[in-house]
Amino acid sequence: MGSIRQLSQQVINQIAAGEVIERPASALKELIENSLDAGAQSVNIWCDEGGLARILIEDDGSGITKDELPIAILRHATSKLKDDGNTADLTNINTLGFRGEALPSIGAVARMKIQSRHYLSSEAWEINIEGGQVSPIKPCAWAGLNSGTRIEVRDLFFATPARLKFMKSVRSENIAIIDVVKRLALSRPEIGFSLYLDGKISFRTKNHDETEPAARIRDIIGADLADDCLVIDVEREGVRLYGLASLPTASRSDSRFQFLFVNNRPVKDPMLKGVARAAYQDVLAKDRHPILALFLELEPKLVDVNVHPAKTEVRFRDPALIRGLIIGALRHAIGEVSVRASTSLASQTIGALGKSLQQTDAPKFYQGNYNYTPAPKPVQTGFYEGMPREFTPQQAPAPMARAFEEPQTEEVQPQSSPQNFPLGAAKAQLHNTYVVAQTDEGIVIVDQHAAHERLVLERMKAAMNETGIPRQLSLIPDVVEMDAVDCDNLLAKADELAQFGLVIEGFGDGAILVRETPAILGKINAKELLKDLADEIAGFDNAMRLKERIDEILSRMACHGSVRAGRQLGPVEMNALLREMEVTPRSGQCNHGRPTFVKLSLNDIEKLFGRK
Amino acid sequence: MRLTIERGALLNALGHVTNVVERRTTVPILSNVLIEARDGVATFAATDLDIEVIDGANADVEQVGSLTVPAHTLYDIVRKLPEGSQVKLELANDSGRISITSGRSKYYLPVLPASDFPSLGVGDFDKTFEIELPALSRLIDKTKFAISTEETRYYLNGIYFHGATGDSGPCLRAVATDGHRLAQSDYPMPEGANDMAGIIIPRKTILELRRLLESEEEVVEIATSESKIRFSLGRATLTSKVIDGTFPDYERVIPKENPHVMTVDNSEFARAVDRVATMAVERLRPIKLALSHDNLTLTFSNPEAGEAREEVEVQYDAPEIEIGFNAKYLLDIAGQVSNQALFYFRDSASPTLVKDATDPNSLYVLMPLRV
Repeated sequence: MGSIRQLSQQVINQIAAGEVIERPASALKELIENSLDAGAQSVNIWCDEGGLARILIEDDGSGITKDELPIAILRHATSKLKDDGNTADLTNINTLGFRGEALPSIGAVARMKIQSRHYLSSEAWEINIEGGQVSPIKPCAWAGLNSGTRIEVRDLFFATPARLKFMKSVRSENIAIIDVVKRLALSRPEIGFSLYLDGKISFRTKNHDETEPAARIRDIIGADLADDCLVIDVEREGVRLYGLASLPTASRSDSRFQFLFVNNRPVKDPMLKGVARAAYQDVLAKDRHPILALFLELEPKLVDVNVHPAKTEVRFRDPALIRGLIIGALRHAIGEVSVRASTSLASQTIGALGKSLQQTDAPKFYQGNYNYTPAPKPVQTGFYEGMPREFTPQQAPAPMARAFEEPQTEEVQPQSSPQNFPLGAAKAQLHNTYVVAQTDEGIVIVDQHAAHERLVLERMKAAMNETGIPRQLSLIPDVVEMDAVDCDNLLAKADELAQFGLVIEGFGDGAILVRETPAILGKINAKELLKDLADEIAGFDNAMRLKERIDEILSRMACHGSVRAGRQLGPVEMNALLREMEVTPRSGQCNHGRPTFVKLSLNDIEKLFGRK
Repeated sequence: MRLTIERGALLNALGHVTNVVERRTTVPILSNVLIEARDGVATFAATDLDIEVIDGANADVEQVGSLTVPAHTLYDIVRKLPEGSQVKLELANDSGRISITSGRSKYYLPVLPASDFPSLGVGDFDKTFEIELPALSRLIDKTKFAISTEETRYYLNGIYFHGATGDSGPCLRAVATDGHRLAQSDYPMPEGANDMAGIIIPRKTILELRRLLESEEEVVEIATSESKIRFSLGRATLTSKVIDGTFPDYERVIPKENPHVMTVDNSEFARAVDRVATMAVERLRPIKLALSHDNLTLTFSNPEAGEAREEVEVQYDAPEIEIGFNAKYLLDIAGQVSNQALFYFRDSASPTLVKDATDPNSLYVLMPLRV
């Protein structure tokens, strides 16, 4: 133990660097943010050996003047915050950075060279800083006519060997770097990015004119999402939310592909996962996660970004508004699409078909096919007239029906009217389970049980919303003992729970009285339910479990009340099913997020036969 | 062991005991029934370690002895033998098997030693009294529908028997509740039961006991201790553990002064409820009762399923009220009432009291449904 001393500036910077510069990716993040704040249109990045050997970043931003260069590398020096000598307006932050920590922090732990040409100057200047030691400023050569800044960081953490020991493999540092660049690139579609890892191009994005993120998402997350997505753009109380969310049928098994940007700042908010779960609750199985790229635009005053040195977390002034906005917008968008199946499903189907074709030897295949075609021709005429004729393709028409139809058969009239519907005209039922329909652009295959179950469930839910949820009052209220924090959490959500029929009251410290329960749940194990709800509120700040329990019962009843696989459907029934699916929200997937139908375009089918 | 017994008597005794035996258990001997042959009587005992049922029948015992055999198999064999036949049970020497012979039928079953058979123990019963069999049946029948099946509040999983003071003096009272509704029935205090401590008899015991009570005996002897209860009628005895818990203070929730009284013909009421409930989906059966002067309107409405409406003539002379109930609960209570039912209402959020006009000893409390 020594006496108390003021630390040297260099040590202070090293300590600060420990917070801000955790790994190469976080140094890179600070540097890119500087470039973006400087108004760069293109940002080029080279990283070697996971960024530990070298990070080089070049932008075409406004540049730094000769006089400013030595100041830029001082701690708490920034151009981004107005400071009248007493207070700074930390509540109104429009730039990505503002703490004035990035450059001195990096300079404290690495060998850094900054070269810059200010847009009002014809000369470029260079400054070097090594482990906190600043060399004098000197003029340097500058290629090109544009202003801009070029920063090279070598031997990161050479000055703090302890940190160096904590670095992971080059591979995992590279993954982190790619993640950082992708997030920032997603946030600014109008800026071109390129990233080279050990000299090889990792990815490059074009400058997109439009600010809509769709094109950029295609570049970065992949065409899958860009094609299978819901476009979101809503505004409420001065907060705008836009972006893309995946269709329920195009989900992933982890939540890595959920991006949130607040005023173009990529943030990691644990709220997002819970919000996504709440919004996709009845269309996605529990272990599936949607892909999201959501952008929030709101008054800088309504959000506090000065929460964490790395600025990856934010605090909203009104978190409930933001949550409500996101959930509402997502649910609305999901509800609107009833007849879109994701296109990746079609390609999966084609893939599966292609495989089975390869595996089956030809004669057998054809034979199977012939066995399967007891002339559906007369059916079609019957269908289009919408006449309730008993017929299934597996079964030749009854003699009577045949006689009746003979005069008008043979010629298949290219009828148009039912085909104009998004799900087309039902043509046949296969294996008493799948309905095949023809549309203008291709064919649709529907799983009749999954589809009808969903329809019945949606109908029951609509009915329930209209009448409210009947609640059974308790004669002898159940008292559930829980710890005080859980009690408070539950009681804070009491209004929300009451909407779903669960009425609770505090009962002294550490106990809850259950006054009323949703009648549909019958006799419930109140303790287990409350415990589940409390855990969920603690984890995600929402109480979906109760609604899920109710939906589970409803969907069990829906299952009993719906057409089973294996039941023959007549043409009228099949078409009625298709028409109802078109107008029912969320009918594109069953209660577990599996698709209820697959669409194959003519294009896909032609590909299958090698015609294209 | 060797004995011959008439098939009907054997079936009757086995019928009383076999049901206690779990079909699948991890302890093999628990699937068996214990047979003891002695003094012209064959005694059969079965247990699941919580309940033990013993019954006996006259038999021609040629050789005394005791053993255990798989209970359900034996019962099923005897059940399928022709009526009136004689059944001979004989332990084949050293083979470890018992032979069951009747006419031209012959079966062998494996045997486990009687000495391994668990006993609930004789124990000390500190209280013994007698009650007429029909009275005990009635106490059970009036209340058992309200027993809770939810396991967290285990102390509600049975009927609470205890001494109380009823409208006409001291009585033996049975109460059951599942937290939504409650049923209570009284019987004048049997001699010797005065200071009996309250006990909660588990649901399974009640069901087994009810089976035994289908008997021609007239009196049941009841012995109780803190942890056990024993019912004896004729040769049959049922011993059971009781639920170790405190029954809630039920008297507090029984409404004393509900002002609005409806008198209704019970069977007409039950039929109307049943018809309206046809419309409701399984489980979710909220129906609404609207009362006006001498008229009861039962309605169910659901935007998807449709609407039902039934009117029933009643005697009612109080302000109009509307109150919702679970149809199943109403039907359960209607099932207990004989002719006329009296409903005592307060408002749509308070417990409703129901009584049978001809049975002053029973009452039912039902909590409404908010619809």
